Amino acid sequence: MALEPTDTQLTALLIRIAPRDADAALALRELYDLTAKRLYGVALRVLSNREWAEDALQDAYLNIWRIAGDYRSVLSPPMAWMGVIVRSRSLDFLRRRNSERVDTALELDDFMSDTLASNATDPIDAAQASQQATALHQCLSRLENKQREVVSLAYMRDLSHNELAAQLKLPLGTVKTWIRRGLEQLRQCMARVV
Amino acid sequence: MKLTNHPALLEQLAASHALGTLRGGARRRFETLARDSVTIRTQALLWQERLASLTELQPSEAPSANVWKRIANAVENERQKTRAAIPQSKVSAARGVSAWWRGAAAAGALATVAGLVVGVQQHRQLGEQASQLAQTSRQNAELAQAREALAQQNTELLAQLKAQPDIAYVAVLADGKFNASMLVTFDARQQALVLKRVGAYQEAADKSLQLWALPESGGPTSLGVLDGQAQMRLVANDQQVRATPALAISLEPKGGVREGGPTGPVLFSGRVLTTR
Repeated sequence: MALEPTDTQLTALLIRIAPRDADAALALRELYDLTAKRLYGVALRVLSNREWAEDALQDAYLNIWRIAGDYRSVLSPPMAWMGVIVRSRSLDFLRRRNSERVDTALELDDFMSDTLASNATDPIDAAQASQQATALHQCLSRLENKQREVVSLAYMRDLSHNELAAQLKLPLGTVKTWIRRGLEQLRQCMARVV
Repeated sequence: MKLTNHPALLEQLAASHALGTLRGGARRRFETLARDSVTIRTQALLWQERLASLTELQPSEAPSANVWKRIANAVENERQKTRAAIPQSKVSAARGVSAWWRGAAAAGALATVAGLVVGVQQHRQLGEQASQLAQTSRQNAELAQAREALAQQNTELLAQLKAQPDIAYVAVLADGKFNASMLVTFDARQQALVLKRVGAYQEAADKSLQLWALPESGGPTSLGVLDGQAQMRLVANDQQVRATPALAISLEPKGGVREGGPTGPVLFSGRVLTTR
């Protein structure tokens, strides 16, 4: 991804993919080259297991191949639309896995405690994200690190207060407070930015 | 209390709803209110949109190269299913190069999977595989199922194929009844196509078999004329093979045709599969 894709570029590719003909297959390849790293990051964040994340990513691109025609009527930026597809495929995958095995939480724990311990903000290239994402990123970066991470994990892994508390080994009240404060600050900030 | 009179609380609830932390009865009550009020619904959708951008803010990481290969193969399989759905009568009724092409592509649908199976075995169990294929082909009703089952194995088989460093492409050319007749592999190191006869077909002494590339657009281009031997090599470059989704063999006068497209009937055809 030497050159960052623009929304216009990605939208044009999705429109080319819609007819599912020979040219669509070429367009899918271009789309993949431009977006796979970012979308793999999404799947990895939800699943924190490379093999599963790759399976979910494969599923997601096949889904994009099949429903690219629907994108015309969607008003979200293309990366956000694809991001939501990857997240939802990954969550499906996680639910299936969780019903199969009980020890997945262990791996998640390790991953999350690493994330919580780190003090760095997520690197983001402003040119790469949609305007909406840039605004959200600005507002998130004003949160305390732990608040930002808990909000982000709650969304990415679709976790309840209880599940977050259990997985992060934090008191339920603490999790609720972090989320409430995090969302409140986001609300105030987003009102100013957007 | 009317929620729309408390914009800060409304936004908190909409944000928690979008985040997923608003659960149980509280979630259901909020959703009921949202269905009745455009103001509440707007806030709910606005926050869904905003938080969806969280997916854009995750750290990037490159997936392994296998992922694209698996996607490309699955997409190719889907496209072939669509093509194979063209009624057989329509294909045979049409004339000229385009009908020739379409028929070849339809026949190639099965050979895609067959190609993987045979390719992995690397010539060793060829006879066995070919006869299995022949059996499968006798029962048309089971074909689709067999293809599904074999497609499931694609991933594993491709991984095994990868372990064979010389073979960049593989194709099994089959006749109209899906009997495998020719195994074609492209050896990237030697820049050569290796053709191996696996069926019983033998052309008459005054005829030659000619191998054609079937590009996505444009007519067939000759890759060479086969001698009567069970196995032979044809020099070809990577570019020629890569640009070709399918190969076919036609029956031509002795020595083959020098210019233009095929003049005789197409006997065998199949998809070209990349192995790396």
